[in-house]
Amino acid sequence: MRALQASTSYSAGLGISSVAAPPSRPRRRLGAVAKVEPTEKSIEIMRKFSEQYARKSDTYFCVDKGVTSVVIKGLAEHRDTLGAPLCPCRHYDDKAAEAQQGFWNCPCVPMRERKECHCMLFLTPDNDFTGQEQAITMEEIRETTANM
Amino acid sequence: MALSLSAAITTRYATTVRPCPSSSPKSKLSHFSSLQLPSELRNFRSQHVKSRLRRRTFALVASKNQTFSSFDELLEKSDKPVLVDFYATWCGPCQFMVPVLEQVSASLIDKIQVVKIDTEKYPAIADKYQIQALPTFILFKDGKPFDRFLLHERQNPRIKLLALEGAMGADQLIERVEASLQVKQ
Repeated sequence: MRALQASTSYSAGLGISSVAAPPSRPRRRLGAVAKVEPTEKSIEIMRKFSEQYARKSDTYFCVDKGVTSVVIKGLAEHRDTLGAPLCPCRHYDDKAAEAQQGFWNCPCVPMRERKECHCMLFLTPDNDFTGQEQAITMEEIRETTANM
Repeated sequence: MALSLSAAITTRYATTVRPCPSSSPKSKLSHFSSLQLPSELRNFRSQHVKSRLRRRTFALVASKNQTFSSFDELLEKSDKPVLVDFYATWCGPCQFMVPVLEQVSASLIDKIQVVKIDTEKYPAIADKYQIQALPTFILFKDGKPFDRFLLHERQNPRIKLLALEGAMGADQLIERVEASLQVKQ
């Protein structure tokens, strides 16, 4: 149920039981390898979510903000294609089913129960890779993922 | 703790997928060779995709100009153990491992072959080896999974990660692989 609350707080109106169609076409950068980029809107939503959740859970972003940025984009991409921010650091048999089921929708159950974030998005203070920040700007996200 | 990861790592967030001009519907795999290193990556990043290549399955050309019609063929034809990195594009820790793997590949060039598999492009292979958390590393010997490990030991991010600052991370991974290769000899 907390997962349901988490998802409706930033995806207004999107219930976890329905898989919404992508709100807009993913933008493709000129000359990029044909990998789908998430929409700006979803990136912004997941960026805000990550900042809020880090503060709320007393966790911090990785020393290397590139890792944070890639994960935020991964969450945004799943939000676009599946209607829910499924964890981007896992392989799934059936993504749509997993997104509906909710266990791996960010914030996932392991994170909520044990502050375990395999994606290195939310790091506890005792982690070797924990930085000092709980904030990340769109500019940082753009810069650190520019070469992808 | 001052880490100067960012500069080194952000320049290396490049995908290993490289479309082949003469692509065929069969899935092919990229072979990440340790000989390539920075100059190869520079060429690689500057390549532009031709519009007709924009389809779901790409034929990938090995960086040594070898093509493989299947992962099984790659395993079969390898004369060395193969370290396979199962990754996904938007998996942060997977991208974090890119420079580490390059170093490992260079250091262990005589002992192993390093291959990366995009689990979103090749889900059947990921399913076959029951990949769940990413990145997952499987060391294949004689075509069969010989050893298998995650980035985090025991899947707990609080325990020391395999990859520490750049070079040290590579050392740890090298140690892990070498220890594994020595076990059953």
